[in-house]
Amino acid sequence: MKKALMKDTIKEITSTFKRFLSLLLIVLLGVGFFAGIRVASPDMRNTLDKTFDEYEAMDIQVLSTLGITTKDIEELEKIEGVESVEASYLTDVIVSSEEKEEVVKLMAITTKMNKPKVIEGRLPENNKECVVEPRFLLGTEHKIGDKIKIEAEDIQDEDGKNQPLLKEKEVTIVGTVHSPLYISSDRGTTKLGSGKINYYMYIPLENFDTDVRTVTYLTVDGAKELKSYQKKYENKIEEVKNRIEDISEARRQARYDELYQKANNKILDAQKELNKQKEKAEKEIKDAKQQIENAKTQIRTGKTELENKKVITNNQLVQAKKELDKAEAELTEKERLFEAEKQKIEATLEFLPPEQREKIEQELQQQEQLLKQARITLNEQKKQYENNQNIAEQEFAKAQKELNTAESEIQTNEAKLQTQQKNADKKIKEAQEEIEDAKIKLADIKKPDWYILDRNQNVGYVSYLQDADRIDNIASVFPVVFFVVAALISLTSMTRMVEEQRVQIGTLKALGYSKRQIASKYLIYASLATILGSILGVSIGFYLIPAIVCDMYSMMYTLSETVLEFDVGLTIAGLLAASICTVGATLYSCIRALASTPATLMRPKAPKPGKRVLLEKIPFIWKHLNFTQKVTLRNLFRYKKRFLMTIIGIAGCTSLIVAGFGLRDAVSSMIPVQYGDIFQYNVEVTLKDNLKQKEIQRAYEEIENKQEIQKAIKMNKQSIEIMKNDNNQSIQLVVPEKVEQLQDFIQLRNRRKKEENYTLDEQGVIITEKLAKLLDIKKGEQITIKNIDKVEVQTTIVGITENYLSHYIYMAPELYQKIYQEEIKSNTILAITEELTEEQEDILGKEILKNKEDISSVVFTSMTTTIFSEVMDNMALVVWVLIIAAGLLALVVLYNLSNTNISERIRELATIKVLGFYDPEVYEYVGKETLLLTLIGILGGLLGGNFLTTFIIKTCELDAFMFNPQIKLASYIYGIVITMLFAAIVSAITYFALKKIDMIESLKSVE
Amino acid sequence: MAYIEFKNVVKAYQMGEVLIQALDNTNFEIEKGELTVIVGPSGAGKTTALNILGGMDTVTRGRVIIDDKEISSLKEKELIKYRREDIGFVFQFYNLVQNLTAIENVELATQICKKPLDPKTILKKVGLEERMNNFPSQLSGGEQQRVAIARAIAKNPKLLLCDEPTGALDYKTGKQILQLLQDTCRKEGMTVIIITHNQALTPMADRVIHFKNGTAYNIQKNEHPTPIENIEW
Repeated sequence: MKKALMKDTIKEITSTFKRFLSLLLIVLLGVGFFAGIRVASPDMRNTLDKTFDEYEAMDIQVLSTLGITTKDIEELEKIEGVESVEASYLTDVIVSSEEKEEVVKLMAITTKMNKPKVIEGRLPENNKECVVEPRFLLGTEHKIGDKIKIEAEDIQDEDGKNQPLLKEKEVTIVGTVHSPLYISSDRGTTKLGSGKINYYMYIPLENFDTDVRTVTYLTVDGAKELKSYQKKYENKIEEVKNRIEDISEARRQARYDELYQKANNKILDAQKELNKQKEKAEKEIKDAKQQIENAKTQIRTGKTELENKKVITNNQLVQAKKELDKAEAELTEKERLFEAEKQKIEATLEFLPPEQREKIEQELQQQEQLLKQARITLNEQKKQYENNQNIAEQEFAKAQKELNTAESEIQTNEAKLQTQQKNADKKIKEAQEEIEDAKIKLADIKKPDWYILDRNQNVGYVSYLQDADRIDNIASVFPVVFFVVAALISLTSMTRMVEEQRVQIGTLKALGYSKRQIASKYLIYASLATILGSILGVSIGFYLIPAIVCDMYSMMYTLSETVLEFDVGLTIAGLLAASICTVGATLYSCIRALASTPATLMRPKAPKPGKRVLLEKIPFIWKHLNFTQKVTLRNLFRYKKRFLMTIIGIAGCTSLIVAGFGLRDAVSSMIPVQYGDIFQYNVEVTLKDNLKQKEIQRAYEEIENKQEIQKAIKMNKQSIEIMKNDNNQSIQLVVPEKVEQLQDFIQLRNRRKKEENYTLDEQGVIITEKLAKLLDIKKGEQITIKNIDKVEVQTTIVGITENYLSHYIYMAPELYQKIYQEEIKSNTILAITEELTEEQEDILGKEILKNKEDISSVVFTSMTTTIFSEVMDNMALVVWVLIIAAGLLALVVLYNLSNTNISERIRELATIKVLGFYDPEVYEYVGKETLLLTLIGILGGLLGGNFLTTFIIKTCELDAFMFNPQIKLASYIYGIVITMLFAAIVSAITYFALKKIDMIESLKSVE
Repeated sequence: MAYIEFKNVVKAYQMGEVLIQALDNTNFEIEKGELTVIVGPSGAGKTTALNILGGMDTVTRGRVIIDDKEISSLKEKELIKYRREDIGFVFQFYNLVQNLTAIENVELATQICKKPLDPKTILKKVGLEERMNNFPSQLSGGEQQRVAIARAIAKNPKLLLCDEPTGALDYKTGKQILQLLQDTCRKEGMTVIIITHNQALTPMADRVIHFKNGTAYNIQKNEHPTPIENIEW
């Protein structure tokens, strides 16, 4: 390029700086939006990846239905590609404090991966401490340092006996943490409480009093370096997963064998032991019996012996008596003989010499003495005999008594033995039965299933990636408006520029400059604006838009700080797209001009001839238009490019504003409608599990009788699944105890026709709108519901009700009974209170919770509303961004329009000034056109805004929400007013530009 | 007092670093109903004088009085009113609005006047009855200039100012246009001022003002103006 031309180009930029600026601005907008929205999705993905890297999140987790053993872990560690393995324990528990009960996911702290990130405080140092998620503190009003009680279900020990799961149940909160396992607000479902897990918490692994692990986490070599949303990562993980799959069969078998062996051995041991015991018992009984028999025999012998002895002794005694009697008789005979002798002798004695007499006397005496002696002896013997007889009798009586005692003892023993035997038999039978049971259980042991899962099982992870995809969809549509407008602006302003410089172009051509050299000036002009605009655009877009998008999503997800990246590829793409629009348009106008000969170029261009418009053919309308209106209409159709540019630009502007406010409407009306119109209750009371009907009634009456409570209703709420597609929504089944009461608490109605109310009946269920949309089901169709016990039932949908938050299925109690064959049991009470302040609500809540036996939690709907205001703050930001973008678009377009208009029609305008048009009239002459175009644009924009809002809502909406798709009238009015405001700003600028037009211009010749 | 008085008018403006004295103490008078020709070479200040007379430009010093109204002291808005009601302007390049038909171009002017003439009658008068509904691009140069004159006259102005009205026309057409202007003056009693560099046109005027170096150096009165058909150049 020649130096002179270069200088000329630079001079051109400075002298037509406004034109340059408007070109630059529209490119900035287009590229900024394009790059910003486009990069938002990758930024979101990278943020997610970074977050997971920071947590050192697992890549794979392995779950087994029969638990993971140390040996399993060893085997997993050996697998090629596995970096490290860590097992942990997860379970659902109820955490209770003085006032409330919450269903909480209890996890063991892992140290190698899935590390909880400390937000406040610190990690537990001993079994008496725990950490909770920050929401737990917010929701339960606990503080760090508070003590909470964990109620976990007992586990079974080796011998099948129940034992507590935790060593320490009362733990102190020492900090709050975030977990990579729960980055979204979804905590999953459970069999406990209302069926929804509210929070998660961590305790040290040592606090679990068991060796069993419920889950094993694995990291894969080199996976951390990869982006987890990329195919490369997925492939790598898939490879390792397959390897795990390969060993899983063996491990499952091993676990089965191990468990089978263990159980079988136990049974065998038990049988052996039982047999031993049986034998022992039998022997003991036999011995005892023998003993008794022996004793009996002994007694019998004793008896006989005694009898014998009696006989012998009696005989002896009789013999002795006989002998005594005989001896007495003999002695008495002797005495009598002796007396007789004596008398005889004594009679003769006087007759005998003394000596002889004496001698005889002596002899007699001697004999008498002897007899006396014999009598004494005999008497003594008699006495001896009597004595003996007594002794014998005594002895016999004693022996008899002894025998009797022994006999009765044996009888007792015999009875005892019988009882003993019965008991032993019973025990043996029982033991045998137990063994039989164990045998049946043994047969029931199945090979465990292994679940080899990756990050795609993490609900938060998956839904965040889905959200990123949604943003991607928006990114492919949104910037198009800006690029189209950029192309049109370039086309009009560059065409104008080339036309303005016809003479110069002609001169240059005449001087012998080549077409390319001449065109290069305009191309450089356009390129410069494009390049500068693109650079500014990406610099702003790459940082502002993803930051806002990620900020919005941070309400729903707990993630690390947003990763903002400068994407070279996108920069180039944006620059290219913008260049095609601007430089392409420039080239087009240059080529058209350069095709003419220098002479033609140096002659003034014939003005574009006037044309009648179609409307003139309808005199009915045309006649009633005033003069300026007619002129305006003709002008409108005269400059089609400008017409198009302005309308698209303004329509874009209005669309963006309407979309901004429409989105705000969609989000803002969601909660007030949900908790004002649809859910009319303001307290939800959850009852404890396993209450009896009487206790439920007691709790209900107690609540209903409270002064602040106006009305209350009992109902059953439970988590269910719907069997359709691969839907994984968490859905609550609501069954009121009395259908007719429900309408006072929950409105079931058609969103489009609010007056159309539904009533539950036996015909079927009513489901919420978003759920119907997600499952793609309509009124009258059948659905299959699976409850937490995996019971599947089929039912008909009889209505689709307006609902914005979560998914519900409403069912009449009669239907429930019909299909589940059981009476419903209420677990929830909804109540309507009178107008209460926050403090009064607090007091009432505590009051209700005093009934600790029946009530597990009390939630006021006002809490939800408070949290929601944060969301609205973020929405305001979005609205502002859209308004600013819209404003810039409108300003650039309208400014460009008026600029081109003025420069092209300067003679005309000067002429009418000479004719004596007042300034406002001059303005009206051009301004009417702008006004009309603006109005048409706005009209288009209202439509476009509607579409845009619907589109954004459709793509951005999370599965658990439904935005209210109705745009308020006010938002359309804002769209109109704000666009008009921007138009007014440009009008003011135009007004002064018109005022400055020199009438002398009218005298100049046509260029 | 004359109908139009130009008294000691000075017009100076800065052009870059040079101060240009477009009018240097210019004086002249014109009577009502006269056809005046202002003649002189380019750069003599005749257009500047015309611009001032037409209320399109202001004076630096001096007074301009038209029909007892001192227009040199009018404010901007009053000047517009003056242009609107008192002035009809005919341009060298016609300055018709391309997007309007002949009659609409006339209406463009009449719609803003207090007591305008009927556009159709006027167009008939300038001989364009048949071409009323044509767009400028469908008309010849002469016809376009007739529309322009019709547009100026239709306002029923006090003063008809013509800036080189024949400058872009061929001889014959130019003559016809001048005829039209002379007729307008004579028949309607309109005060007409024509600017030209063509000395040959001076005989047609009641009054001829010669301009040179930013001042009117010679003012002649023709007691017997020559009819245009008799003028050759």
